[in-house]
Amino acid sequence: MTVAAIVSQRAAWRDTLAWRVVLSVVWSLVVTGILILMAGKNPFVAYQHIVLGAFGSWPRVVVGLNKAAPYMLAGVGVALCFRGNVANMGAEGQIAMGGLAASVAALIGANALGAAVLPAALIAGVLGGAAWAAIAAAINLARGVHEVLVTLMMNFIAWLIVAEFLHGPMGEIDAGFPQTPMFENVAWLPKLVARTDLHIGIVIAILAAVVAHVVLWRTVTGFRWRLAGASDKAAHYAGVSRARSVFGLMLVSGVLSGMAGAIEVLGVHYRLIEGFSLGFGFNAIAIALLATLKPLWVIPAALFFAFLETGALSMQRQIGIPSSLVLVIQGLSLIFVLCAIGRGARRI
Amino acid sequence: MDAVFMIDFLGATVRIATPILMAAMGGILIERSGTFAVGLEGMMLSGAFCGVVGAFLSGSIVGGLLAAGLGGLLFGLIIAIATTKFDTEHMVTGLAANLLALGLTSFVLRTVVGGGKAPVIHIPLLQPVAVPILADIPVVGALLFRQPPLTYLAFVGVIAISIFLRRTRGGLLLAASGENPLAVFAAGTDPIHVRFAALLAGGAIAGLAGAVLSLQQIGTFTDGMTGGRGYMALAAVIVGRWLPLGTLAGCIMFGATEAMQLRAQAFNLPVSSYVIQMVPYLAALLVLAGLGRTARLPSAIGQPFRRD
Repeated sequence: MTVAAIVSQRAAWRDTLAWRVVLSVVWSLVVTGILILMAGKNPFVAYQHIVLGAFGSWPRVVVGLNKAAPYMLAGVGVALCFRGNVANMGAEGQIAMGGLAASVAALIGANALGAAVLPAALIAGVLGGAAWAAIAAAINLARGVHEVLVTLMMNFIAWLIVAEFLHGPMGEIDAGFPQTPMFENVAWLPKLVARTDLHIGIVIAILAAVVAHVVLWRTVTGFRWRLAGASDKAAHYAGVSRARSVFGLMLVSGVLSGMAGAIEVLGVHYRLIEGFSLGFGFNAIAIALLATLKPLWVIPAALFFAFLETGALSMQRQIGIPSSLVLVIQGLSLIFVLCAIGRGARRI
Repeated sequence: MDAVFMIDFLGATVRIATPILMAAMGGILIERSGTFAVGLEGMMLSGAFCGVVGAFLSGSIVGGLLAAGLGGLLFGLIIAIATTKFDTEHMVTGLAANLLALGLTSFVLRTVVGGGKAPVIHIPLLQPVAVPILADIPVVGALLFRQPPLTYLAFVGVIAISIFLRRTRGGLLLAASGENPLAVFAAGTDPIHVRFAALLAGGAIAGLAGAVLSLQQIGTFTDGMTGGRGYMALAAVIVGRWLPLGTLAGCIMFGATEAMQLRAQAFNLPVSSYVIQMVPYLAALLVLAGLGRTARLPSAIGQPFRRD
């Protein structure tokens, strides 16, 4: 192999999206490190504590994996939407409504359904998320209101609906915190590993990412979505209905986000609590972008976000650096990734 | 419902509408120039933070206001560099900037400013200034002409931006950059520069909107204190069809619904406070849906400009 060939090969490798994403994350860690220095602390010690906090023991890893599951599910939905040129900002509200619907089903169905209450609650969560997304899609398509605005407004409404339920009919009396009573054991999401807190959500999430990958790249529906995202004109000439792909994509996002909300209440809290999913949907958008809108890449991106968060919480307890550092790293890496890929993500 | 209650209610409406209005004016400049202004929330938050820190460190309210403008401008600059130099998607860039602002303000407050934990900073509030003569008009005088300075600035800003967009060369260039950037380029101005400048100016104005909250209404900074007002401002811009006066109407509507929610008990409404809190968002959705496709975006918004 000639030197020129090696050099060009290396250049091609440097040109890959994966490399640019990794570089962006590294840069965000460098800039954040400077901030930590300005705060009078050692960035290496801080990062060491984040890593220890995330992976230091089996229970910590479990917390991270459980956290990653809803991020992954919602992130896959957002990635598909963005690929189809649907700027869906509504995962946040869809997760909240999914969690609410699953909780209602788990509380009401516990006596009547017996062991069937768990699948019923999961289905309710999926339907709750999908219904919320469908309303947004309907307003967007019927009245031409930009999807970003519809979904953003509906996030606020979803939070308030959850609050209304918790302070009203579903709230636990004398709990001192807005939450429902605990679900019956039968409604709990099964554990993946016995005697740990690790629930099967992470498996569901990885499966969802794989299925989304196959649908996107190996089916006619996926091709239609990609076409709709790549070029309005081409899609139109090919007879692909914009309305159909918008509605379909929003529904998929609603289903996945609703599932994310359901597994969070059924697998982690065993009850609905106020703010149980605060920020999940916005994280999902960041994760989808970090994954350059590739469903399979959402898996590592979601794990990165989840472990970063669990690690930072532990860092705050250990050495007193505020865990809001995570938001800085997330925001910076997102901006750097966006700059590094420009408008390329959707085309490739 | 007596007059005292009405005056109190209208006063609260103006108070709540002011920060949203100020941010929305920045939003109009940004959106009309062709960039989606999702980052208003982050610019506001940064402005609120820098305002408090600036006033605290300089010991003067002018220093605080200057810092607030710069804090908003900084996030305008970040978004401008990303969207114009790197062609990033506007919505997500704005969202990322909001995330960054939330983290950065909270982190810097605790570490650099507070030395480990959140410091307690109390800034004396900007006090109402009475306009001579006008302030003595019954009812209206107290309501409109006995306000703190930034409130006047926000309302005067509506008129100023209205005139700027319609009557000045700069304003026409700005609007043209959002509608037909190629025409602007043909006329000898780079639309990219116009968008860049609009983001800086809009950012500074949104930063002052943050100062309305932190220096004029609350007197300190708390994490995420803007609480979605940037998004409300964005909605107001669209409800107002990207026109200053229409946007003012949208902001007053949002202010009134929130003021009503705070006084829900007095109105004897048969619903809970959470349902009433939904009203501004439902109202925004309804107005947007009612306007339908007539609420036309600036035609080149969100599109990168390329010379070829």
